[in-house]
Amino acid sequence: MSIYLPIGPQHPVHPEAVQLKLKVEGEEVVDADVDVSFVHRGIEKVLETKTYVQGLFLAERICGICNVAHTTCYAINVERLAGVEVPRRALYLRLVVEELARMHSHMLWLSLLAHVIGFDSLFMLAQRDRELVLDLMEEITGGRVITSYNVIGGVRRNVDAALAQKIISTLDGLRKRVLEYKRLLGEDAILRARTEDVGYLSSSKAVELSAVGPVARASGVPYDVRECDPYLIHDEVPFNVVVYNTCDVWGRAMVRIDEVLESIEMIRYALERLPEGDVRAKVPLLIKPPPGESVARVEAPRGELIHYVRSDGSERPVRYKVRTPTLANLAALVEMLKTGRKDRPVYVADVPVIFASIDPCICCAARVLLIDEKRGSVKEVGMDEVVRGE
Amino acid sequence: MAISLELLKNLLRRRATIMYPDERRALPESSRGRLVFVRDLCVGCGLCWRACPSAAIEPIKDEKGLRPVFYIDKCTFCYLCVEVCPRKAIKGSSEQASVVSDKSELVVK
Amino acid sequence: MIVLEPLLRFVQALAYLLYTLLLALLLEWFDRKLIAKFQNRVGPHYTGPAGILQPLADVLKLLSKESVVPEGTDRLMFTLSPLLAFTIICTATAFVPLLGYRGLVSLEGDVILVLALLTLYLLVIYTAGASSSSRFSLIGATRAALMLLGFEIPLMLSCLSVAASSGSFRISEIAAKAQPRLLGIHALGFLVYLVAAQAELDRQPFDIPEAETEIVSGWLVEYSGWRLAIFRLSKDIELVLLTGLAVALFIGGGPNVPLQGFELAIATPVFLIKQLLVVFILSLIRASFGRLRIDQFIGVGWRALIPASFLYLVIAALVA
Repeated sequence: MSIYLPIGPQHPVHPEAVQLKLKVEGEEVVDADVDVSFVHRGIEKVLETKTYVQGLFLAERICGICNVAHTTCYAINVERLAGVEVPRRALYLRLVVEELARMHSHMLWLSLLAHVIGFDSLFMLAQRDRELVLDLMEEITGGRVITSYNVIGGVRRNVDAALAQKIISTLDGLRKRVLEYKRLLGEDAILRARTEDVGYLSSSKAVELSAVGPVARASGVPYDVRECDPYLIHDEVPFNVVVYNTCDVWGRAMVRIDEVLESIEMIRYALERLPEGDVRAKVPLLIKPPPGESVARVEAPRGELIHYVRSDGSERPVRYKVRTPTLANLAALVEMLKTGRKDRPVYVADVPVIFASIDPCICCAARVLLIDEKRGSVKEVGMDEVVRGE
Repeated sequence: MAISLELLKNLLRRRATIMYPDERRALPESSRGRLVFVRDLCVGCGLCWRACPSAAIEPIKDEKGLRPVFYIDKCTFCYLCVEVCPRKAIKGSSEQASVVSDKSELVVK
Repeated sequence: MIVLEPLLRFVQALAYLLYTLLLALLLEWFDRKLIAKFQNRVGPHYTGPAGILQPLADVLKLLSKESVVPEGTDRLMFTLSPLLAFTIICTATAFVPLLGYRGLVSLEGDVILVLALLTLYLLVIYTAGASSSSRFSLIGATRAALMLLGFEIPLMLSCLSVAASSGSFRISEIAAKAQPRLLGIHALGFLVYLVAAQAELDRQPFDIPEAETEIVSGWLVEYSGWRLAIFRLSKDIELVLLTGLAVALFIGGGPNVPLQGFELAIATPVFLIKQLLVVFILSLIRASFGRLRIDQFIGVGWRALIPASFLYLVIAALVA
């Protein structure tokens, strides 16, 4: 006898309003569906009414935590459209701030995972250590979370040698803490018991359902936009693409922790080799890019983020489209909620853990989904279709 | 019990909490806070209220001519106006626009 | 004269009840403050010195709010459950020697009675969750009833084994012997008891029936106002009861010296301090772990706790 259990849209485990519709028999989940329409704000529509420079600050607020990824993507997109050359020092600084944002996003995620499992001590301690990164962000950009650092043409503020030294020494202290959390993930019995073999997503399914980011990389799919389509100076800064083969929530946690450690190394490398020069190219306030289209991809903390812009030569875009990583991971989420692994069903207690493991950013995800009525399926928009402007 | 030793050590450490409002965190100078407007430098060019993405600046006429009024409750602290002003009449500060009981305190004239 | 005796007993009972409530609030404060310090935080801070009045403030706040009874609820059981729970727990606490050397009442075999009352308490939790009209409360109530499978036998066996090995089934008598039964085989019994008590109290790692992030407070979710206040008080008194049992059975009560008249003044603080020590251990366990799933908990119960409790029973019976 199955009952219909709605997790959401108001539920303590949801950072934003989203509905997980579950069909539950006792403690086992037999069917699942997701509804993300609750946080739709019409941002793509409003972006058509703002100039390119104003729109940057609106695109920044698509998501609070991933705001650096959104501004980086937007800036790169418009720069490609308008043919603006960004100075090299700005590219390095963009990388530093992007990796700092990735770090604090992953640490936030770790604390949320701990909270969902009921491990409040790890939640509190991870948040305390995350403060170190937020204080750094404030010193560099002026804002702790919303940075307003990237602009079309470069970045806004410079980082002098003293600040660079402070960043490196703070990150050295943080590294020890992150290694401590990595040890906990490997040793704590209950953390492992709640995350291993939970939320199974096989490699083939991950590719088929176009999962992105740590969700895909924990299932053995080595897909990282920084490696396959370098957008800043990622081809000059060495880093490893972190891949685990466990296909479960534990794997995703390990991927994210290792990415934090990778980010620390990348920031140190970039800061030690900061080229001299300007940090900002001169760009007119009412920038009027030539008519055309542009697509930019960025590795946000949650996965691959795609922005598309179409211009007709005026100072406002004709169409701006955003495909966020959470949207791409939603199909994988439904798959994870429905199918267990071999003889192990998905329990109600696993549902929040699985949902948290894709690092959901629903305010990013409440965009427009293309629903193919004829085939009765929800189609993820592929790259070529994005470029064609559908 | 992997975390227990850390927890016991925390008993001896100082709290990480800052007891606001009796204690406050020292904000770095670079922190983006409330706007400061210097009337004497303004020439009324209108660039700031045209640039603002949140329509938080409105032009009014006072005895010296056209000038902006800033509504901090709508401001997103993006500092586009600070960048765009040709006379550097708009400055930022690290003062956070905190909670107020009177809405007129959120207007910078 | 005939009327004076029952009146005296009534006043005694009232005083004991008051002390139990005060102790419940004190232990809740101690638990919250400890966990906060473990996590580098402050915990209750503003109400009273070091926030000691915070649990009282929480109860008063709840009492001042409306107690909503949603539609579709079994109104009788919904209201009766908190009252029953409170009564059962207070009755059970009357046997624990919190004040002086004996509890309010002392019967031959009251260990067994207290354990039976604890099981009855869990049955009331089930009716509380089942009478609410929410799906989440039903899942929470079912989980609470299922948890019984895991911790009830270890709880009972550890208590009864240590009682048997000390030669009496009267809690006050066992406590008065003041011999700490913590060494040797009794360490195993104490450990089993602590884990089973943590499960009985619905605290991490066993707060499965009330998992906030999964089922939003589980069986408690529809309760508000005075009904919730009484349930919260019952849970705090349950902490007093179980830590009191731990001290009485395993650590020993107050100092075993004849004090003639000063028993109340000396034995009570000693008992309290030992109780706070047990709360320290339980709080450390609570802060150190996440939450188990119900099937994992039953696994732990049947694979580790129950065999350990049987082992303890057998060896304690052979040795003592």
